Amino acid sequence: MSVNTPAGSVDVDALDIDAIDLSDRDFWAEPPAVRHAVFDKLRAERPIAHFEEPVMEGMEPGPGYWAVTRLADLDAISSEPATFCSGKGAVSIQDLPADLSEFYGSMISMDDPRHARIRRIVAKTFTPRMLEQVLDSVIGIVDQVLVEARAKAEAGDGSIDVVADIAAPIPLRIICDMMGVPEEDRLLVLNASNTILSGGDPELTDEEDPLTALLEAGMNMAALMERLAAERVANPTDDLTTALVNSEVDGEKLTHQEIASFFILLLVAGNETTRTAIAQGLFALSENPDQRAAWMADPSLDKTAVEEIVRWVSPVTWMRRTATRDGEVNGHSFKEGDKFLLFYAAANRDPEAFENPHRFDVSRNPNNHVGFGGHGPHFCLGAHLARRELAVTFRRLFEICPDLEITGEPDRLRSSFVNGLKRLPARFTGQR
Amino acid sequence: MSRVQVDRERCVGSGVCESLAPDVFELDDDGVLQLHREEPEARELDAVRDAVQSCPARALALAE
Repeated sequence: MSVNTPAGSVDVDALDIDAIDLSDRDFWAEPPAVRHAVFDKLRAERPIAHFEEPVMEGMEPGPGYWAVTRLADLDAISSEPATFCSGKGAVSIQDLPADLSEFYGSMISMDDPRHARIRRIVAKTFTPRMLEQVLDSVIGIVDQVLVEARAKAEAGDGSIDVVADIAAPIPLRIICDMMGVPEEDRLLVLNASNTILSGGDPELTDEEDPLTALLEAGMNMAALMERLAAERVANPTDDLTTALVNSEVDGEKLTHQEIASFFILLLVAGNETTRTAIAQGLFALSENPDQRAAWMADPSLDKTAVEEIVRWVSPVTWMRRTATRDGEVNGHSFKEGDKFLLFYAAANRDPEAFENPHRFDVSRNPNNHVGFGGHGPHFCLGAHLARRELAVTFRRLFEICPDLEITGEPDRLRSSFVNGLKRLPARFTGQR
Repeated sequence: MSRVQVDRERCVGSGVCESLAPDVFELDDDGVLQLHREEPEARELDAVRDAVQSCPARALALAE
């Protein structure tokens, strides 16, 4: 397969740099080889490149954005939140109305001190020590999902869909357990998070109008949260929702809207990214059988292998920052209001930061990737949880499902924002 | 003696330091970073240096 050596399968030199358009929706339907060849070209020749904004119906086009593809530039911008803010929008290229942007991005789209205030309330739930306490439940959930996947294959024609049967249910059940979402509401959570992160992929939104679908998904999640929060005020439990309704910072409680947006952030960000890492990670392992064999035989590689999957997959392709003043970064002049898209997926293949960046290497060390974000206050809150989920999932897969075999090409999500898969066919061979 | 310094304004409670050097760093139940000791023992210094370098908020320093 050529997918793992993108630079080798597409002639980078033959690409016309002026014809590259990262705002073209069709570009995000191209296979990874093309995507990474384009990133290689930009990084080498125009590491901070200007693009017009994608056309979005019903909205005035904005001034365009700078695409950042070198890891050093990305980290420099990420490290200076006062100069490169998130409050104008972090997860959309267009400026959305402030309340909508905050509702969907929650503290992702806020700046300090508001961001820090909310982050501190929830940070205590995601520390390594607290996660030790949920480890047992993570193993239990993973085992249950894998047993169900095999049962489904045996009851049917032997095949499963890795995305629907393994990668989606694991993070969904873990985050819903942590939040205390009842079983009967979990399908709603899955559907709503699909819609919100679909980037308008028509298959995942039934509505004709993606903006309507987005609003409806948000309202459904907010309604669920309102009900849950009210229940927890009356009957506190030991879940995260209870902690959120009771938590205070400097004598202030989170507002109703802050809890709703954080709920959406957790459910969406906690689901989709980990699902992507599991599904794309399994595909990468099947494309690299030597790496799969090496990792399977040696549990001491869990740590480096998980980091490599996050680097390789880069579940979130980019985040946005906006300049708060005129200035210069690594020799590039910018004006107040300039938008920067930090392309983590490109920076994670930067040859100045990684040896043989297009090689998938489960023992890679050092591996200072930016798959959880660059330096700065917005570094992924769920990084520890994600690492734990991934380590447990792959180790249990090796132990319980060594005969799981990927049987075809993945069906990729056409999104510039999430590097997701819609389907990945597989079967259990029965050979152990 | 080497001394750990924490910039409280910058710390976001990510817990990266705790995962790398749990004998020195710990986030308490309020998500506030606590130091088990400000002057790490010699055998802990490599882990502490890792923690300082890896802090996503660049809130740590080691004065050597």
